[in-house]
Amino acid sequence: MAVGVHADIFIPGQSAIHRWATRPKLLSLLALMFAIAMVRHLVLLPWVFAVVIGLYLWSQLPLTYLLRRLPYPGMFIVAMVGLLPWLSGETVLWEWSFLALRLEGLQTAALIAGRFLAILTTGFVLLGTTPFLSLLEAMRSLGLPPLLTDMTLLTYRYLFDIANQFVTMRQAMRLRGYGHVRQTVSRQWGWLVALLGSLLLRSYEQSQRVYQAMRLRGYGHGTPPRYLSSHPSGRMTLALPTGLIWLAAISFVVGEFFLSPL
Amino acid sequence: MHIPDGILPAPVCAAGYAIAGGVTWAALRQINRTAASPAEVPKAALLAAAFFVGSSLSLPIPPVSVHLMLTGLLGALLNWYAWPAILIGLLLQAILLGHGGLTTLGVNAVMAGVPALLAGQLFRLRHRLAKALSPRAALGIFSFLAGALGVGLTALIFFGLVVFTMPSTFDPATEQNLLTAFMVAHIPLVFLEGLFTALLCFFLLRVKPDLLK
Repeated sequence: MAVGVHADIFIPGQSAIHRWATRPKLLSLLALMFAIAMVRHLVLLPWVFAVVIGLYLWSQLPLTYLLRRLPYPGMFIVAMVGLLPWLSGETVLWEWSFLALRLEGLQTAALIAGRFLAILTTGFVLLGTTPFLSLLEAMRSLGLPPLLTDMTLLTYRYLFDIANQFVTMRQAMRLRGYGHVRQTVSRQWGWLVALLGSLLLRSYEQSQRVYQAMRLRGYGHGTPPRYLSSHPSGRMTLALPTGLIWLAAISFVVGEFFLSPL
Repeated sequence: MHIPDGILPAPVCAAGYAIAGGVTWAALRQINRTAASPAEVPKAALLAAAFFVGSSLSLPIPPVSVHLMLTGLLGALLNWYAWPAILIGLLLQAILLGHGGLTTLGVNAVMAGVPALLAGQLFRLRHRLAKALSPRAALGIFSFLAGALGVGLTALIFFGLVVFTMPSTFDPATEQNLLTAFMVAHIPLVFLEGLFTALLCFFLLRVKPDLLK
């Protein structure tokens, strides 16, 4: 299933973005993403793309990494970008029967698609160059409550395990005839209720064992554990990427500010 | 029902994070006050993972099939822990699957998490009606309502956001028709989610009633 396919979110490397300390990287790239979300003028999009493409090249992530993840934008954005040029606006560019391509809708669709691609690519740079555990550690050092970081770590740790159990259970269900022999809808629902119910039950029982193991290792007593990544990222607070990314983010905001009265 | 990056303006995304921060504070306060047992953490985390995986299940409604949201069920089983579970689930979905987004994480969390919390509170009302109704009937009614409320309220917030952020160049008549069609299409989903939640609660009552406490 999809969860398993994209488990390899971190790509080890030696680029400056990889060696950039996690905390300033997280803050800088989130600021950049928010600055991109603020862009409302198409004229700024080429500059946004120049920055994002430059960042991606600097990170030395392979192009296949980006291309593999881009086909998951969700139906909503596809529908929105696909429908807007035909439904929104007054200036008709081309017309055939009841279909009319409108300038304003086309501009809005281009803006949404552009912002989406730019933010998504920035997010991939963040996730592709930073181990997940380093991200969690940085979030905890930024004040994220320990309960949230503990829960995130446990959910992430057991997600793939539970996904594998789910795949096995579905396969067993199919081998017993689900989807192959003709069944009423109510019977199919019965199978699915039992499938999801059993998955919840197994997870619950596993959580009892996990808790006992955690207690034996000292969970709930003394100082909270540090998350140690198997891919320790560099601890350098590189001034260059931090400065450049904040400069780019500020330039988007300033550009938007000057263009707004137009 | 995830809003991806790039659609919402930055102030809406920031407002989403601010509201999500406030709800996180309130939920953690309730968790520390009512269920301070550390055993709840792995239980909530693993059930969150199971919900994450289980939401890929498609329910056959000939001639189509629909995906479940399970937010109402999450609220019913996890109560206040449903909020961190949804927040984490959405973060992992954005990271691993590219569903939703990092700038819209706050908005998406409010959209799915607040209905889950309300559904959880609604589900707990069944104890108050234990004298008027049999426990089994109360479980059926309130689990149905919790499931339906979870998806219904999420859909309402989603449409509210779409209307609020829709370009001003949109033709009002077209906008109204589209939104009406979307709303009408979601009514059966609300019913189906409620029904599935009730069936699942009956299943859990039979095999592991502890989970429904």
